Amino acid sequence: MIRAGAAALRAWSRGRGWAALSTAPPAPPAVLEPRKGLSPEEPPVASPVLRSCSVPVPSPLSPVQAWVGSLRHPQDTLRGLADLHPDVFAVTPRLDILHTVATWQKNFRRISYARVRTRAEVRGGGRKPWRQKGSGRARHGSVRSPLWRGGGIAHGPRGPTSYFYMVPMRVRVLGLKVALSVKLMQDELHVVESLELPSSDPQELLELARARHWGHSVLLVDTNEFPENISAAAEGLKSITLIPALGLNVHSLLKHQTLVLTLDAVAFLEQRLLWHDSRYSPLVPFSLPHRDLPGAA
Amino acid sequence: MAAVRALRVAVRQRPGLGPAGLRALWGGRSRKEERAVEAAGVVPEQEERSEPSLNQPPPRRRSFVPPEDLQSCLESHVREVFGPSVPQDWQQAPLQEKRLKHRLLAGLAAELGLAVPNSQLHHMRRAGDVLGFYRSPVSGGSKMDELAAAELPPNLKIVWQQ
Repeated sequence: MIRAGAAALRAWSRGRGWAALSTAPPAPPAVLEPRKGLSPEEPPVASPVLRSCSVPVPSPLSPVQAWVGSLRHPQDTLRGLADLHPDVFAVTPRLDILHTVATWQKNFRRISYARVRTRAEVRGGGRKPWRQKGSGRARHGSVRSPLWRGGGIAHGPRGPTSYFYMVPMRVRVLGLKVALSVKLMQDELHVVESLELPSSDPQELLELARARHWGHSVLLVDTNEFPENISAAAEGLKSITLIPALGLNVHSLLKHQTLVLTLDAVAFLEQRLLWHDSRYSPLVPFSLPHRDLPGAA
Repeated sequence: MAAVRALRVAVRQRPGLGPAGLRALWGGRSRKEERAVEAAGVVPEQEERSEPSLNQPPPRRRSFVPPEDLQSCLESHVREVFGPSVPQDWQQAPLQEKRLKHRLLAGLAAELGLAVPNSQLHHMRRAGDVLGFYRSPVSGGSKMDELAAAELPPNLKIVWQQ
């Protein structure tokens, strides 16, 4: 017994661990049997990916639909069918709201730093250059008036100017809904079950976009994190952009020709954008902490 | 003295607060690196634009011409998908259930080579709507392709460039 124990300890120290202590004979190597039924060329037929709206659709409206594809293969476009909420993806195409929100996005961050000197700020020009009458020249009070070369500017830009203004939150939300609806109705919106790529080659991603006729710029949206392959592939490309669903905005939607959403992103957007239809007006601005904002803020 | 000299050397070795230092701080590439990359020759990610030419390139999208046996093909698909629950008039078969709708439309797309686009999917409520969709031919090219295919006067030429 002591000898068996010593042998076991020696086996353990050789690194075989718990397997060294078992007394059963070692199992024969597993033989891979050829799979019957499915030939290796045919991929297994997957059940279709069907998605219904998480937020209930009120009765006269019916959901709009989109194909659910995947990025694994250029021809893998008809994997399933997703229902999209009509109050997000089928609103009236209000181009004026798109213009309002896109202009707001461009301008609200703008601070113009242009500043020029007025006649009071230009160096010099305190003395009357010549007497008022009798010299034959035009009458002037200062060599730095706006009429003079080198003089101040009369109505020029004055100091850092802010163009900040806010468009109501509901209008911005409606802008997003209109942009998404327009993308869907112009056949530029595609739904994908996840953004997993077979490889991280940028050329393959471009070939996939080309084969599916996605246009010259593609916007890929996912909820939180992107898989490594697609982040690596889209890193150096200028025409393919990845953004998280929180960063979706009207300017990016209009700038890129095609929009590709994952199913998670669709659910996120529906939940967030539809909350505003049925919320109370805030007693306190939303920028302060609230307990019941959507997304568990 | 030696300590002060060592400190001065250490300070000189760091990029410092100049433009190069700030660029390094914010994660950009230094001018030497950028010149090296340019010299190596950046592989263009997009296809280079081809020379303008008079030869028309092939159309981007495939055109679709509805086959003659469209109705019978559709009917067989509908009967196969719906099974025994097909109503009397197969064109009135409802497509409310997503599973059946997906099966029918995916099967038709695979057979006819044209899938219903996303904007039309919610119009497909009955099998008759699907029939109406597949009856209309789809031209593969754009307006320019149609113009090029039409009769043009001899002094009008179209120059193509990708």
